[in-house]
Amino acid sequence: MSDTHSHHDHDHDEQELAAKKAARPKIEHDNKFWLSLDQYQQNPEFKKLAETEFLSSPLKEEDDSANEGWARREFLKLMGASLAMATAGCIRRPVEKIIPYNKQPEEVVLGVPNFYTTTYFDGSEAIGVLVKTREGRPLKIEGNPSHPISQGGTTARAQASLLGLYDPDRLRAPKKNLFNEKRSNKDGIGISWDDMDKNISEQLKKGAVVVLTGALTSPATRSVVSEFGQAFGAEHVAWEPFTHEEIREGQKSCYGDDLVPGYRFDRAQMIVSLDADFLGAWLTPATFTKQFSKTRKDLGKMSRLVMFDSSYSLTGANADIRVRIKPSQQLDVAMGLAHEIVVNKGRSSYAGNSNAKSVLSAFAGTAKKLGIEEELFKRIADDLWENKGQSLVVAGGLQTLTADAVELQIAVNFLNSILENDGKTVEGRSGNSSLKSSNKELLALIKNMEQGKVKTLIIHRTNPMYALSSSAGFAEAIKKVEMVITTSERDDEVAQAAHYVAPDNHPMETWSDAEVTAGVFGLQQPTIRPMYDTRSFQLSLMTWAFLANKGPKRLLAYETFFDYLKNYWKEEIHPKQGRGQSFDDFWNQALQEGFVGESVNSSARSFRAEALNQVKKSKDKTGYELVLYPTIQLGDGSNNNIAWLHELPDPVTKVCWDNYVCVSLATSQKLKIKNGSVVQLTVNNKKIDLPVHIQPGLHDEVLAVAIGYGRTHVGRVGNGVGQNSYELASVSNGNLVYSGQETQVTVLNKTYKLAQTQEHHSMEGRQIVVEATLKDYEKKKEHIIHRHPIWSIWSGHAYNGNKWAMAVDLNSCTGCSACVVACQAENNIPVVGKKYVMQGREMHWIRIDRYYTGTPENPSAVFQPLMCQHCDNAPCETVCPVLATVHTDDGLNAMVYNRCVGTRYCSNNCPYKVRRFNWFNYVKKIEKPLHLALNPEVTVRMRGVMEKCTFCVQRIKEAKNEARIDSRPLKDGDIKTACQTACPAEAIVFGDMNDSESRVSKMFKHERSYALLEEWNAAPSVRYLAKIRNNGKESASSDPESKGGHS
Amino acid sequence: MIKRNQLIIGNKSFKDITDDICAPVERFPSKGWVGLFLGAKTLLIFYIFVLGMVLANGMGLLGVNHPVAWGTMIITFVFWIGIGHAGTLISAILFLFRQKWRTSVARTAEAMTVFAVMTAGLFPLLHTGRPWLDFWLFPYPNQRGPLWVNFRSPLLWDVFAVSTYATVSMVFWYIGLVPDFATIKDRAKNKVRRMVYGALSLGWKGTARNWSHYEMLYLLLAGLSAPLVLSVHTIVSFDFSVAGLPGWHTTIFPPYFVAGAIFSGFAMVITLMTLVRIGFPQFKDYITIDHMEVMNKIIMTTGMMVGYAYASEFFVAWYSGNPYERYAFLNRAGVPGTSGDYAWSYWIMVTCNVIIPQLFWFKWARRNIPTMFIVSIFVNIGMWFERFVITVTSLHNDFLPSNWGNYAWSFWDGAVLFGSFGMFLTLFLLYLRLVPAISIAEIKPVLDVGKDKKGGH
Amino acid sequence: MARGIGGIAAIFLEEHAVLEAARKTKSEGFTKFDAISPYPIHGMEEACDIKRSWIPYVTFVTGTIGLVSGLLLTWWTSAVSWPINVGGKPFFSLPAFIPIIFELTILFAALSSVGALFYACGLPKIDPPVIDPDLTSHKFAIFVPENDTGYDVAKLERMFKDLGAVEVKKVAEY
Repeated sequence: MSDTHSHHDHDHDEQELAAKKAARPKIEHDNKFWLSLDQYQQNPEFKKLAETEFLSSPLKEEDDSANEGWARREFLKLMGASLAMATAGCIRRPVEKIIPYNKQPEEVVLGVPNFYTTTYFDGSEAIGVLVKTREGRPLKIEGNPSHPISQGGTTARAQASLLGLYDPDRLRAPKKNLFNEKRSNKDGIGISWDDMDKNISEQLKKGAVVVLTGALTSPATRSVVSEFGQAFGAEHVAWEPFTHEEIREGQKSCYGDDLVPGYRFDRAQMIVSLDADFLGAWLTPATFTKQFSKTRKDLGKMSRLVMFDSSYSLTGANADIRVRIKPSQQLDVAMGLAHEIVVNKGRSSYAGNSNAKSVLSAFAGTAKKLGIEEELFKRIADDLWENKGQSLVVAGGLQTLTADAVELQIAVNFLNSILENDGKTVEGRSGNSSLKSSNKELLALIKNMEQGKVKTLIIHRTNPMYALSSSAGFAEAIKKVEMVITTSERDDEVAQAAHYVAPDNHPMETWSDAEVTAGVFGLQQPTIRPMYDTRSFQLSLMTWAFLANKGPKRLLAYETFFDYLKNYWKEEIHPKQGRGQSFDDFWNQALQEGFVGESVNSSARSFRAEALNQVKKSKDKTGYELVLYPTIQLGDGSNNNIAWLHELPDPVTKVCWDNYVCVSLATSQKLKIKNGSVVQLTVNNKKIDLPVHIQPGLHDEVLAVAIGYGRTHVGRVGNGVGQNSYELASVSNGNLVYSGQETQVTVLNKTYKLAQTQEHHSMEGRQIVVEATLKDYEKKKEHIIHRHPIWSIWSGHAYNGNKWAMAVDLNSCTGCSACVVACQAENNIPVVGKKYVMQGREMHWIRIDRYYTGTPENPSAVFQPLMCQHCDNAPCETVCPVLATVHTDDGLNAMVYNRCVGTRYCSNNCPYKVRRFNWFNYVKKIEKPLHLALNPEVTVRMRGVMEKCTFCVQRIKEAKNEARIDSRPLKDGDIKTACQTACPAEAIVFGDMNDSESRVSKMFKHERSYALLEEWNAAPSVRYLAKIRNNGKESASSDPESKGGHS
Repeated sequence: MIKRNQLIIGNKSFKDITDDICAPVERFPSKGWVGLFLGAKTLLIFYIFVLGMVLANGMGLLGVNHPVAWGTMIITFVFWIGIGHAGTLISAILFLFRQKWRTSVARTAEAMTVFAVMTAGLFPLLHTGRPWLDFWLFPYPNQRGPLWVNFRSPLLWDVFAVSTYATVSMVFWYIGLVPDFATIKDRAKNKVRRMVYGALSLGWKGTARNWSHYEMLYLLLAGLSAPLVLSVHTIVSFDFSVAGLPGWHTTIFPPYFVAGAIFSGFAMVITLMTLVRIGFPQFKDYITIDHMEVMNKIIMTTGMMVGYAYASEFFVAWYSGNPYERYAFLNRAGVPGTSGDYAWSYWIMVTCNVIIPQLFWFKWARRNIPTMFIVSIFVNIGMWFERFVITVTSLHNDFLPSNWGNYAWSFWDGAVLFGSFGMFLTLFLLYLRLVPAISIAEIKPVLDVGKDKKGGH
Repeated sequence: MARGIGGIAAIFLEEHAVLEAARKTKSEGFTKFDAISPYPIHGMEEACDIKRSWIPYVTFVTGTIGLVSGLLLTWWTSAVSWPINVGGKPFFSLPAFIPIIFELTILFAALSSVGALFYACGLPKIDPPVIDPDLTSHKFAIFVPENDTGYDVAKLERMFKDLGAVEVKKVAEY
């Protein structure tokens, strides 16, 4: 069907609409069930509204003033006006058809959301998502379950990207900066697109143009850039902090392919990760989590994950066996394992290869050197071998960007080859060839800039002014460039140094596509018309080329990037992927499903033995080593202005609103520092002051610091939060080194309080997260859980009809926290800020508790998502004096906001402490246009009211209504809560207990299932499935008595 | 009946008694009183400002948070309610037990009750998130269904208990005052006072028939107040013990709280009486050292009851074998292996409530005004901390270690706590000036008690 | 006693004297007389032949009413008018309702007893006549209304003087 979130011509739509109406099946309006009074009365006004509604979006005309936002009230009014607006506002603009998700109702009705498939790309991972829009505004991001790669998984950042759309700090019009001579000072003024385009196209004619972008996963965009390059002889340099260059170079020298291969954790039975945080922030976490969790569901053939961890990464926390190392040991470990397999055990085809042996011999006895128990090390090597063909060794990420990053990759590739994993768990061909950004090219570019060889620099979706260590000299070099143009969507660090800021659309406002992996293409369709006077990067390039009248025909032929894109797909993608479909069908299908094609199968590649010779044993280092790592919240820091992400506690440290230096327990004692004492790190005379967080399970010579913080020009939320630790990266022989650098620590006698949402880390021997080793579980079965006799003196209330319940599989949950942000987005949960988090006033309805088990020196971690348990004997209900929280007849623990007077007795009496109180009037703090992100289905709570998880009651109602409208009973799976849909590991299952066939009731009957604080007999409607650790040991690594540190 | 010292010394005639007791009401206020009053009034105004701020900005101003959702306001509420109890106990229970010595202190103790309950009553109202909707706690017919209230909630029991208690103790107090108002009216020299006190006295004439009804009613009210006062603090203790929290969920709470209440109440009576004796020397003949000593004995006894309660809580925690309970109490005492963040408050409580009152084993301590004053102050502090310990330490470390957190004490917490004294003292000082501080009508019959010629009655 | 009846009043300074006088007056056959004192005098009821107060009956009855209404209120609102599943507890959770019922019992009983006193003593009374202001301080009096049988000013005056009255005066109305 036709929707014109973007400019359209109106006759066309009239016909379109008429056709639609004819085609549309008449809906029986059963007067029993109606969505609104108007509908009930069959009000013609309402019908008209309903029809016009989907033609419109509540967006402003270009010409009206850009700086005031939109009140929700104005929406309906606008909806009426929008038809006129659409015609008045944009004659001469061609039609761009975008297609709603085909599983959704055909016609749009007020109050009924529409889902649009699109693609979220964060620089490394392209996730197939569905954007839920209502009355034309995006409200929620869901994973696209039918997407072949991400398969419905999302990440916290993908969930939060919605808020980026409504970010009040986005630029609302193009901008020009007037600099003084030295460019030390500037003055920003507004400028019209036309003037700017004219000036720029003039400038471009001078040549010596460079287009500096982030990794471009979009084939169409790449082609625009390259054609633009042809037009002006412009060079294209791609750079962003996570280049994954080391992987590509490793692949190149081992197999001759310059690409990031596809990793198949779903096929791996034995996984060894060397600082590759693939469940957290490395490469494509949503996809990897999805794959990994598949191997953990069936305990019969449960995979084993071994992590050699130099920070305490999320992957390490989920590892069956976690070994703490420091960056300089990564190579030793990889080669040590190879040595163990090839030399000691004489396995694999290289067993006879003297060259290989001589290289490996340097790494004999690694285990002893690293202080790893040799038995363990041997067993890991054996496991790898025994699972050959279905084992997987990975390494990567900032943590591995040491001086010998590439050698590490070679070692890893060698392992995968000798283990015959290549072509099975490592797919050469289905890799992602679009991740082409490069440190080396950037550094080269900087040289050219310094020598004044660059006249014009166009920067898009990358931020070397922030994310690149100043020692690379970009800031100086950029002053030597005649004209700098950036497409930053905000007045960010780059925009400070740019002459022209040509603000790009938000990804949700613009057309694009994505090459997810080789052979799989996704489309990114706008879900809202551009909110401000912005223009897509691609269209900017096209316009400048058009005005300069240079470049290939295709570049100049189109008025919008949409046309270019569609044509590109016609010419480039359709022939390859079309399978004989007509292009229109092909296109529509692509729009409906969000992707086309399937990943190609790979076969084993031959390993170039000589590559191994590059690997030299570097001499063992002593002293502190730096580890820079991205967090799951902020990643590379590009979406640093999103409050949801700042308030989202780190899954492992549980600290939010800051970055800090993690040190081990022993180190903290050695340096006599406590949590929050400030230390100064010195890395080749670059100094940075950071508060300390004592992190159990860290190598004693590691200082781990998160990147992505300390931005200066991102907006009112992110500015000045934490320190910019990118600074600590240094340039050595034409490349960037992040981790493993020697670091000096000086203890300053300052303290700085960190906001931590969980301050106690031991279970105190209580049965909270039940954890057992696989061996134990196979022996004891359900007896891994200590059951309590429970009885009541009366029968209790009966639940006829539905009885909602939720099951959480702790064995699948990785703690990735996507659910937390999803819940926040779905339920209009306010952000309170650091000060109030420190006072224990965070508002998250679902939180993820993390406990350490084992010794404080080297503990393993367990995660437990905790939301309202909807107890049948709810303690909170009994004590509420005004009946503000009561039980519904479908088993929900209802919270009646407008009845609540706020005695907070319920919170006191809740043994799970999942209730949250509005200490202040937080909603008043929501700035326009952030209020557009509020979910109209969910009440916005005022000051003095208690709130908590509702099991997404609005979704329950919605599903019930739908079932009624097409008069069918609810089926299991019709209702999915926000946390459930967000979860990439499918750890959360929601459903009806009265339906004995529902997944949830099956999980409730599972022998691993238990209720939290069972003996307390609150009779929760949430049950957890015990966590199983496949570490080959008897008796869980957690000994109940051990106490994690109390900070 | 054992021989006891005279209740009233200095061979007073009825006339003297009337004159002595009415003096403060009729005389021009002393400098000391004015000074105190101005101080108290300033504190009261500050208090009003503080409550205004909290009302305007929300409970977030105070340290209450997640997990400690109850704090200063509830603590101080229980504190003041507890203090109230001594008054009713003296006026009602001791009356039923025919303790003649009570007459000298009953009036002031009752006044203290009334003001303490008034002070306390504000807190539960103001500590809600939306105080302007507090009336929803009353079961009145409405257009929402009608949607009633949850009679299962201890907070609702509180509403009924505290309001009943406030009403009844005020009525009780006033009934006692009626004859004395008549006295003042009859003595009144100027017209206004005559009119005011005339109105207050309701036209009391003191005929034998009136007296016979009057005494009967007084007996009945005493009989009703006695169980009432016990029920009130029992119900206040239910606020905690009905909840399932380790450290709250204990059956010993009702007696423990009542004992504690009497304990703190008598301490406050001593504090005030020592001051009254200084401010109005003529009262020394009525509120004699003997009176003080008796009350000190009660303080020591109840103090030990409270101490027993503390001990038995620990025993039960251990004996129950309930790990959460055990942890909660070890944590209170700050045993290593627990967070023990609030152990200091626990030990302040024990020192003030159990150890220091032991001084009263010595007669000199019981009869020495400065000593008893200091001890009474300590007990007041200790009893506030008892409520702090119960409320905060139980909440801050409960079932799931992930919930654990500490109370975020703020400036406003302190302001609310101290401001409440402004309210109480202002009311009390006004009372001393406007109302006969000792029951004239009740004191006269006991004039002869202990006099050699007659002995007891 | 009805307002505005004149009579004769004798003032005494001693508690035992007025008791004496009361007994004498009674034995003289007077029935409507009354004794006035600053505080309740032990034994005055017998002396003036006053029956035991009836207020306790009021207390009992109203107390019972309070109890029943408490029971009805909790039961009707929680189990009849709008039964709601609260914490999986029965709609009529009697044990939880007892505190409410108890408090209402006390409240009803106490307040209505006070009401009874007001009724019994004819309170409040605006500006009642005063025989002698000291009667609320340190003096005692016997008042015999003129409508009492055998009312004879001279005789009474003599009698009271003999009983040690410091003063005997005619009262216009009391």
